[in-house]
Amino acid sequence: MPEIILKNVTKKFGKSIAVDNLNLKIEDREFVTLLGPSGCGKTTTLRMIAGLETPTEGEIYIDGKCVFSSNEGIDISPDKRNVGFLFQNYALWPHMTVYKNISFGLENMKWEKDRIKERVIKLLEMLRISEYSNRYPSELSGGQQQRVAIARTLATGPKILFMDEPLSNLDAKLRMEMRTELKRLHTETDSTFVYVTHDQLEAMTLSSKICLLKEGLLQQFEPPLDIYHNPSNFFVADFVGSPTMNILEVKGENVNLDEVKLSNGKIQVLFIPKSSSITVQDGQKLLLGIRPEDISITENGENEGTIYSTLPSGMETVVKIELDGLILTCVVFGGVDFNIGEKVKFSFNSDKNILFDKKSERNIASGKLI
Amino acid sequence: MNYRNRLRSFLKKPHNIILVSLAFILIYLTIIPIFTIIIDTVTVHQSELMRVKGSRVGDFTLYHWGKVLFSSASRKIFYEPFLNTMVVAFGTCFVAITLGGLVAWLVTRTNLMFKGIISTLFIFPYIMPSWTLAMAWLNFFKNSRVGGAPGLFTALTGIETANWFAYGPFPIIVVLGLHYAPFAYILIGGILRNMDANLEEAALILKAGRGRIMRKITIPIVLPAMLSTFLLVFSSAMSAFAVPAFLGTTVRYQVLTTQMYRTLNGLNPGYGYIMALIMIVIGVLILGINQKIVGTRKSFTTITGKSSNISLIKLRGFRGLFSGILLFMISLVCIVPLISFAVESFIIEPGNYSFSNFTTLFWVGAGSPDIANSEPGILRNATIFKGLWNSVRLSILVAFFAGSIGILAGYAIVKKKGSKLATLVNNLAFFPYLMPSMAFGAIFLSMFAVRRGFIPPLYGTFALLVLVGVVKYLPFASRASVGAMHQLSNEIEEAGIIQGIGWGKRMMRIIIPIQKSSFLSGYLLPFISSMRELSLFILLVTPSTRILTTMLFQYDEKGWSQYANAINLLIVLFVVISNMIVTKVTGASIDKGIGGQ
Ligand SMILES: Nc1ncnc2c1ncn2[C@@H]1O[C@H](COP(=O)(O)OP(=O)(O)O)[C@@H](O)[C@H]1O
Ligand SMILES: [Mg+2]
Repeated sequence: MPEIILKNVTKKFGKSIAVDNLNLKIEDREFVTLLGPSGCGKTTTLRMIAGLETPTEGEIYIDGKCVFSSNEGIDISPDKRNVGFLFQNYALWPHMTVYKNISFGLENMKWEKDRIKERVIKLLEMLRISEYSNRYPSELSGGQQQRVAIARTLATGPKILFMDEPLSNLDAKLRMEMRTELKRLHTETDSTFVYVTHDQLEAMTLSSKICLLKEGLLQQFEPPLDIYHNPSNFFVADFVGSPTMNILEVKGENVNLDEVKLSNGKIQVLFIPKSSSITVQDGQKLLLGIRPEDISITENGENEGTIYSTLPSGMETVVKIELDGLILTCVVFGGVDFNIGEKVKFSFNSDKNILFDKKSERNIASGKLI
Repeated sequence: MNYRNRLRSFLKKPHNIILVSLAFILIYLTIIPIFTIIIDTVTVHQSELMRVKGSRVGDFTLYHWGKVLFSSASRKIFYEPFLNTMVVAFGTCFVAITLGGLVAWLVTRTNLMFKGIISTLFIFPYIMPSWTLAMAWLNFFKNSRVGGAPGLFTALTGIETANWFAYGPFPIIVVLGLHYAPFAYILIGGILRNMDANLEEAALILKAGRGRIMRKITIPIVLPAMLSTFLLVFSSAMSAFAVPAFLGTTVRYQVLTTQMYRTLNGLNPGYGYIMALIMIVIGVLILGINQKIVGTRKSFTTITGKSSNISLIKLRGFRGLFSGILLFMISLVCIVPLISFAVESFIIEPGNYSFSNFTTLFWVGAGSPDIANSEPGILRNATIFKGLWNSVRLSILVAFFAGSIGILAGYAIVKKKGSKLATLVNNLAFFPYLMPSMAFGAIFLSMFAVRRGFIPPLYGTFALLVLVGVVKYLPFASRASVGAMHQLSNEIEEAGIIQGIGWGKRMMRIIIPIQKSSFLSGYLLPFISSMRELSLFILLVTPSTRILTTMLFQYDEKGWSQYANAINLLIVLFVVISNMIVTKVTGASIDKGIGGQ
């Protein structure tokens, strides 16, 4: 069973550290996404696993076999790792037809002609590009090129597939379509996918697990919804979710045993942790995170603010409310329209609000607000 | 990782092996020779025994340095030629960049007519041997004051040309300037063509005038390219030999290269080596400066590749006139010399252009005892055919090796881009470009006259000519190849690596086919250059390895100008036609070797 294990993998380019002591275990048949802002080391990580980049330090195992170890001096070449790699710019060979692009690797493996033909035709059908088999890459649209690249990668039947931002060059509609295809492919091919993206929505919708990186450091490695609802720190909370989480800078004070009084100038709320009680120092600086969907605009809300702006998009409306100089973002289902300056009442009614320590940015607790 | 493992994984990559081997070979062929030259400057040579009193061959001496730099004769031996060289080099740069830049601007930025023909013809003077225009100049403007028959111009108009006009710095600068103008045209045109037109359009929208845009935007952006062109042309002009030899010698206008030829071939090789060394030092300085400029150049020219179609400046009423004049002038420079060679090669008595004086003797004659020692006409002359065959053979071999090594070099350099080793090899591969051809020939002469390790003495062999040609023209091939590799994303190759396609197959089936035309350009320029090269080989040929260009020079020195003109016509036609065929058939072009985009 091809599982991938990274142990203390570090990559330095000169003095700068691209990936910093990364530990990761990717199970068989998972769809793992490496997510993070541009330059955080996603591509480097992927290339190191594939063998296209040599780590400075650490060990990598694929399918129980050590493919790289800096201590033992092992460095198995990419073609012996039985992996496929889908490049961001497709890297199709411009001087070969679609058919040839797909068959070239198989010819190189000395397959018989008939078998190659059968395989290529099957792949062409699977990716619905049969009619283009005699065209050159430059004669195809972006989406079609993408499919050819996928077919070429799948041709040799790798058990692990690496994809580096494969959809970033496509337009929005095609991207949606390809997402569906990729998910279908994942089940059809029965293989492990490791997928790189900087688009948190893509990561949320596609993956079974997200590996979130920041400046080469692993932030969190968990299924998408766990990351969404229980981000390990402020960076993760802020990176995942659109519109982004509302963040209020507050000062905390323990009251009534397990409750925390949060205050920020005029606003004062009580935070009730969901699970165990927490301790804060008096006046400790905290960050309160509230997801936009956890603010509801109701007639009988406890708080009152003025409408700053509304951004209806049909299915939902993003409403920005001003409250004593603070702007809160909330999401309302359906298309509602408010006038700017209008007074509205709203309330915080979920138990998933999160409290971070301002200094360490770590998640302290999640809970209710009253 | 321990050392053994690291070394093993280092050597597993083909590009590392290429870089290491090239570093060794090129250090041996370009750096070590400099030391042998330095030693030669302080050694007594056979022919110098008489001057350096009481010495034996091989003794250490400071005689040469003292004589060249600090004696009463220094002015004549060194300082004057040095000054002349600087005058010629600066003058050439001025002419070449003004002309080349102007035509580049006209072609890329205005609605000039005949752009296709103009840009094809404008390259011609660079493809033709550099002395072509010099010979043509003499054919036209030589006067009888210095001796010999007057040229066509005098024959047609009756006006005797002035000495300053016919010989010396003025014609040298004009001719070299015309020869290197295409160089400037290619480099500056490349930048103009790839410059993001939005930069100019943005200014246009802000209602900046054309002149202002030119001054404030276009020129600053192409300035680094112009400086880089300046340095390259400067070093080429500095090391030019044939043109000053043709146009300067009669009036004793010496430059460093002609002085070097005299001394190396004559009684004072030590002097010649000092001059070679000084020219190399200047070359290295130029390389350093160029590196700095090119390094920063990348940071501010946006090369989008897909320059949007900028609105061309309308030449309005002048369009037809201007285009016509330009086309006429360029054709003049390209075609008239050829006509003059043809004419000169058909007349018996030089200077007499009457019809009765015409003869086909120098082409197909059997040779008569009263003319040029019974030398048969060049189309019946076995020596000439031997020379032609040697030239062709040499050019093909040089092109093959230089081009192929260039491909490997470019591949490896771009693969390891940014590493110290790649930078070293890149510089080493470019270095021969800055070595004056004559000095380079001198180096190889002194290096390989004796057995070196496992290499037998090579002087007098054809292999030595090939070797010196390959090293000298490697810069063209490696530049073309580096350019081609830069355009190829690394992932194109990695897509093959992942599928287990071996290195050889990746090169032959993926990388080379994709950039076919650029790589072929890396073969084309060495081919053309060796075909028309004189100063590089002149010190190294022996009677059995003579090539066309050196024969031409010898005929001319003997005063048999008809033969020289006929051979020149032969060379020019051969070079121009082979260039045309290769360009048409393969899409290769000499631009890419020079560094245009
Ligand atoms: N070949 C390289 N040489 C030097 N630095 C590099 C190289 N490749 C990547 N880096 C650096 O490593 C960091 C991580 O890069 P990368 O993995 O490409 O990020 P991502 O894919 O997440 O955008 C970046 O800071 C980048 O500048
Ligand atoms: Mg990336």
